Amino acid sequence: MIKTLLITCGLLALTAGLSFAETEVGKAAPNFSLPDTNGKTHSLADLKGKYVVLEWYQPDCPFVRKHYKSGNMQGLQKEYTAKGVTWLSIDSSAPGEEGNYPAGKLNEIAAQDGSSRTALLLDPAGDVGRLYGAKTTPDMYIIDPNGILVYKGAIDNKRSTDLADVKTATNYVKGTLDAVMAGKTAPTTATQPYGCSVKYASK
Amino acid sequence: MHTGLKKEASYAEMLTRILQWAVLWVGLLVGWGQPVQAQLYNGKELVTASLISDVTTIQPGQKFRVGVLYRIEPGWHIYWKYSGDSGIPTKIEWQLPQGFKVGDLQWPLPMREKEPGDLEVFDYTSEVLLFADIEAPATLPAQPILLQAKTDWLVCQSLCVPGRAQLSLSLTGGGNTASASASTFQKYASFVPKQPANPIKIGFSRVGKGLVAVVDGVRNDATLDFFPIPPEDAVIGHVARDGNRLTIPIDTEVKPINRMEGVLVVGSGDTRQGYEINEKTLLTAIQPETGASSVGLVGILQMLGFAMIGGLILNVMPCVLPVISLKIFGFVSEAGTEPKKAFRLSMAFALGIIGCFAALAAIVVLLRTAGAQIGWGFQFQDYRFILVISCLVFAFALNLFGVFELSVSAQATQGLANLARGHGYGGAFFQGVFATVLATPCTAPFLGTASAFAFAQAGWVTFLVFLFIGFGMALPYLLLAVNPQWLRYLPKPGAWMLRLKQSMGFLLVGTLLWLMWILGQMRGVDAVVQLGGILLVIAILAWIKGSFWTPISSGRSRLLAIVAMVFVLLLATASYGFVTKPSQLVWRPFSKSTLDEALAAGKPVFIDFTADWCITCKTNERFAIDTPKVREEFLKRNVVALKADWTKGDPEITQILKQFGRAGVPMYLIYPSGTNETQPVLLPELITSQTVLDALNKT
Repeated sequence: MIKTLLITCGLLALTAGLSFAETEVGKAAPNFSLPDTNGKTHSLADLKGKYVVLEWYQPDCPFVRKHYKSGNMQGLQKEYTAKGVTWLSIDSSAPGEEGNYPAGKLNEIAAQDGSSRTALLLDPAGDVGRLYGAKTTPDMYIIDPNGILVYKGAIDNKRSTDLADVKTATNYVKGTLDAVMAGKTAPTTATQPYGCSVKYASK
Repeated sequence: MHTGLKKEASYAEMLTRILQWAVLWVGLLVGWGQPVQAQLYNGKELVTASLISDVTTIQPGQKFRVGVLYRIEPGWHIYWKYSGDSGIPTKIEWQLPQGFKVGDLQWPLPMREKEPGDLEVFDYTSEVLLFADIEAPATLPAQPILLQAKTDWLVCQSLCVPGRAQLSLSLTGGGNTASASASTFQKYASFVPKQPANPIKIGFSRVGKGLVAVVDGVRNDATLDFFPIPPEDAVIGHVARDGNRLTIPIDTEVKPINRMEGVLVVGSGDTRQGYEINEKTLLTAIQPETGASSVGLVGILQMLGFAMIGGLILNVMPCVLPVISLKIFGFVSEAGTEPKKAFRLSMAFALGIIGCFAALAAIVVLLRTAGAQIGWGFQFQDYRFILVISCLVFAFALNLFGVFELSVSAQATQGLANLARGHGYGGAFFQGVFATVLATPCTAPFLGTASAFAFAQAGWVTFLVFLFIGFGMALPYLLLAVNPQWLRYLPKPGAWMLRLKQSMGFLLVGTLLWLMWILGQMRGVDAVVQLGGILLVIAILAWIKGSFWTPISSGRSRLLAIVAMVFVLLLATASYGFVTKPSQLVWRPFSKSTLDEALAAGKPVFIDFTADWCITCKTNERFAIDTPKVREEFLKRNVVALKADWTKGDPEITQILKQFGRAGVPMYLIYPSGTNETQPVLLPELITSQTVLDALNKT
């Protein structure tokens, strides 16, 4: 029996070696600082005490377009920024890749879309995208006032580019925010995001 | 009358025919096998989809194949049924006439490709055929039969463009004539993953936050890969290969994942072959192995050595030791002048003991297999398994300490006793069984613990370990029968046996400590405290059993024991609910800036200075603050509730406590008017809902 214990200890040591980094729900969201399209720098550390939504964004991706053309994303931005949530969209497209635009052009697109986000942050090096393990656009992260990641993953459960799906989909961002802001636990904590791949620079 | 009916029938027939032709013509206009919606990108059509079949005519009642052939622009790709980190699986919706049955969509083996930023996708380039078997009904109409499919895809290069097409194909009934596309079907069918060939086996085991798949039955130098199909609610990482082991990191799971469907890929380039790994293949595959099998021969031998020593130690337990000399004398006298017969008798006795242990091992293995089939994971990585084992180990420790006794029911042993009464080798065998069963009150704590741990082992390891425990326990009989003189080396039974038994309890408590540490690593301090609570309840229940429910207890005493146990369980459930009920008030963490912000916005503020270790604070929160009345009032007045958590002695909070002349928590402040000018109302340390409401009304 002692041997069994020792073997199990060995197994556990193996386990430790197999743990996979990346941002984890329930743990502190890693800090970052990025400039927005108006030159102002935003740092996650300054946002303690507030709910923060991170939205990986790339204006030309058909999945992103689905949520802006249908007014879904702007609607969420408007509703929750009014409730004190900080909504940061992040564009991690590398120079020369799809969705990498000068700040002025991005502001123009934001104006056309009628976006109500707090700011659009520029991450052309892709560092923050990699730090969070952002895979697709959109890829959503929700951070609570204590800086703890409470949700990461897809915006909703209809994995398509079909505008009509927005109405019938279960929106995970809305579900999570409504729950945690009411002091309840989030119904879903992580899902597989869907969309175009984030256009990282080849390294 | 007669002709009238006939006329009606032919009208109906004609109408149907016209309708069918109309439908077919619409189909033709919409595009016969051509995409409806051309998907142009910079003037190029990225994907051309067409509906094809391997036959030109359909034979009634027979199977044939229909598929969508995608021709993809060079440099672009569409996705497999699990698209990977990004992308969307290609979708086909069949629209078939009534009576046609369609099988599962067949997916040829995709490519696994990397995109910048360590993203990985499973995709098809240049051309692919996704197809299905269709079974025709027994009778077919004479008219052309219209088969339709709606398909959606996402085609990506570095950027992505969604596309869709409504496709149709018209076939007529008749013989099963192969079409020009039959060879295309043959080609792609050969790329579809097969059921695993006999020697190929795959076994999954859970190691921490990932799965390890061990592949058996392939050549050592073969290239291996696994294309996973994770459950919809799970997020997984990239599969990595190391020899014949594949690791699949699991990022998120809703239900614990202990194995995964997917495709095992053997070989590379044109010769690679996919094998479908699903629920069915998994059952025929090798037992999921835990790391125990990788211990090696020396490790196993050591484990068996310890098992035998363990079995040997069982002999000095109070219920076993006094029996040994009696048994040996019995064998010796039965053998009379034949010393060899005494040894053979004790051999039969030993086999009886070992048989019991083999039966116990079989039960463990059976339970484990049954459990695994309904999805229970018996692993140390599963916290529920740890919880159950901890409870068992603790209960056994209490038993060893003598808090309560285990007893074997008389009815159950009666049959065995009759069998054991016989003489000869058969009688000796059943005496061995009987002795083992009778010894359970003393041996159960050890065997129970060993069984619990055995749940996490491979089946054959379990068997061997139990056989060796049995062998260890039988060893003294074998030795002593050879030479009864050695009986004088046997320790004399006495009170020391009881002390030894009790001291063994500490060994189990030590084991428990280690289990708690694992649980803490997995689920945090709350889980350990919860386990502690469960153990407390177990201790009380064991004490009640030991005190009021013994073999000599009266009926009244037993009734009292049951009532007391139920009461304890109810009390425990209620207090668990009380302790873990989440706050229904929306608290925000306190900081000076949040306070100033709320006051600046003209909102009243309630500040709860509290700490996790402060019982008064928790009681106030539960009974005075987080009550319906207060919640309603807070909502009505738009009160901002701030929680100043002093659990770790935040200096900013210490400062404020001092400012109000307090040395510690609880402290409650209310800023009723919602302005910074007025002083806050300081509430007493013990409050009721009314205190809070009165303070709010002071404005």
